[in-house]
Amino acid sequence: MRSNRRTFVRGLAAAFSAIALAGRSRLAGLWPQISSSAPNALDGEILRAVGGAVLPEELSEADRERAIGAFEVWLRGFRPNAEQRHPYGGWIIPYGPGDPEPRWAGQLSALQTDASRSGGSFADLSIGDRRALLEAAIEDAGERFPAPADADHIAVALMAHYFASPEANDRAHGVVIDKMSCRSIFTAGDSPPPLPD
Amino acid sequence: MPRRIDSDICIIGSGITAILTAQRLTELVDSHIVMIEAGGRTTPFRERNQQRRRMLDYDENPWRDDHIEDQTGEGLMYRSMVVGGCAMHWDGATPRFSPEDFRQQSMYGVGTDWPISYDDLEPYYADFERRVGVAGEPGPPEYDPRSGPYPMPPLPLSYNLELLKKWGENAGYPFWTQPWAKATTEEHGRAVCRRCDTCHVCPTGAKYTPDVTLDALIEAGRVTLYDETLVRRLELADGSDRIARAIAVDRNDPSEPLEFRATTFILAAGHAWSPHLLLLSANSRYPAGLANTTGMVGKYMTGHPYMAGVIDLPLKLYPGMFETNSLLSRMHARPGPLDRYVRHDLRIWDVATSRGARLRDDAGRIQFGDDVMKDWRSPARQGTARVRGYYDVVPDKESRLTLDATRSNRWGDPLPKVEFLDAPESQALRQHTHDTMSGIFEHMARVGDGRVLSTNVSYTMEHPGGGCRMGDDPNTSVTDSFGRTHDHDNLFVIGAPTLVSGGCANGTPTFSALSLRSAEEIAAGFSTRG
Repeated sequence: MRSNRRTFVRGLAAAFSAIALAGRSRLAGLWPQISSSAPNALDGEILRAVGGAVLPEELSEADRERAIGAFEVWLRGFRPNAEQRHPYGGWIIPYGPGDPEPRWAGQLSALQTDASRSGGSFADLSIGDRRALLEAAIEDAGERFPAPADADHIAVALMAHYFASPEANDRAHGVVIDKMSCRSIFTAGDSPPPLPD
Repeated sequence: MPRRIDSDICIIGSGITAILTAQRLTELVDSHIVMIEAGGRTTPFRERNQQRRRMLDYDENPWRDDHIEDQTGEGLMYRSMVVGGCAMHWDGATPRFSPEDFRQQSMYGVGTDWPISYDDLEPYYADFERRVGVAGEPGPPEYDPRSGPYPMPPLPLSYNLELLKKWGENAGYPFWTQPWAKATTEEHGRAVCRRCDTCHVCPTGAKYTPDVTLDALIEAGRVTLYDETLVRRLELADGSDRIARAIAVDRNDPSEPLEFRATTFILAAGHAWSPHLLLLSANSRYPAGLANTTGMVGKYMTGHPYMAGVIDLPLKLYPGMFETNSLLSRMHARPGPLDRYVRHDLRIWDVATSRGARLRDDAGRIQFGDDVMKDWRSPARQGTARVRGYYDVVPDKESRLTLDATRSNRWGDPLPKVEFLDAPESQALRQHTHDTMSGIFEHMARVGDGRVLSTNVSYTMEHPGGGCRMGDDPNTSVTDSFGRTHDHDNLFVIGAPTLVSGGCANGTPTFSALSLRSAEEIAAGFSTRG
């Protein structure tokens, strides 16, 4: 079963990459295009089990895999301690956080360890049991989602990454806004069209 | 021996005022113009889309190498030190000051009148708008006096802003589209704005950045740029009050000092570095610094604070439609007679910040999956507007820039220290100002059946200026109305440092209009183009 799930995950990841490379997906155009093939240090199976617990259930399996794949691509493109934007008028040069990947990888391992105490793997737990473990792990998190790289826990980072996306914004409002894409100014005054079925 | 570079006109600084002044001078005179910039080139246009992507994904600075690590001081001073200056990453808002800004003392008995009026500057505002290609719609003439239309039609209002405009006007305040230096037609040679909503770095070239103008001047052979070159002091001619040379260092080859000689020097280094260089240039005849016989250099530093509010409204708004456009009212900047002085502008944006997805619900419970979406879609969390007003304050004489003896750059030059201070009359009016503005926010909320969620005051001085203020009296000013220093007839200070007061509107149009007016005066000293 484990190898079957891994095969399935690899298949979805490959499908995501193919879509991204072809540039046919709106998300592919909006999320980072990193060509690096270096794998994350994250355990993909546990990450997907986390995604299944924290991302909206209303997402189709393909949509969820796309969101998780985008997060992995985003993480591959992350540069530790990078100089951050200093707005017009800003006189302080801020720098971003260090590489969160080792910490996040450790958190995935810890989830697996916690789950193994009940005799199984984290991925085999029910959504309710996975959420209970995650809730305990992120009990100190604030009301708002931080920037993904600032998230202490990978579950919060994954949610923060998805819920900040144009796709999530459109889904929340039930219309096509396509925020942060470059669009004609001459349609700005129109009521945004409903999401296609 | 230093390497000597001769020119007719030497401009120190390469921001928008420097570049527009150079452009205007090349139209008027055949003179050889040299421009010196301490910073270097930043992200070229062809890479801005890629850099925008990284900014969106990781909040990384899209403007590479846009500051010099050890060339900053204490207090408010922009870090950008780069060819093109701060206007490489400005948002492009281009409102003018109001006639009242130039007549504070005459009309309201506060502050100091400028030596010029709005009418004196109006043609230069129009010239600025033409050069940078401003898109806008005139407001009602009583609040927005202008001699003609904007060069381009305004940015279209988003669906959200159309609703918010009706709301604002129901409150009794006329709103119109903020003018922007962003193209809405192709007539000005730029791409039409694509509402990418990242004006900090415009990936399409629709927003004006001054590097485009400078590159054209360099390509035409009209301006020679020395970038990554830091001017360390100005020196007088022997036995004269005229400036003879600017002593500089090539940051990439500091072994050979540079000596820029010119007939006329233009200091266009912004509110911090212009007075700083004058103070650094002290000598035996001007021991307090050049142009500083009466001790006014670095005094009367100015700007404007703002008060903002977030108002919840029962309107169905869609976050992300066009968040970098906004509505503007100048009604309260032209209030007519007042018992107590308070003047401010008023703006409306639609904002998503208070109604995005969140991890915890109102009860503080952690949410996962569909619960986050359900909470996000809650009708109680729809429709939020941000309102904000820049308000006018009178600078105190001791609102100042000084040389900081405790900090120096790698060359051993002391760095600047800026300390803003309101005049006592503005300090006394502060609570009244805040009460007045929050009263307006509350009124707007009531009219819209909404509620004020929060208000805040930022006392960071936005759009800072001053430090070399203009005036007719050398005892209370550094330059005349053209920026010519009272002490040195071939030294001009242009733009932000010459402001008498900070007004209640973004500064760039006023900095630039003043500079274009200075350019004509400077050109009068040279032979006109044949």
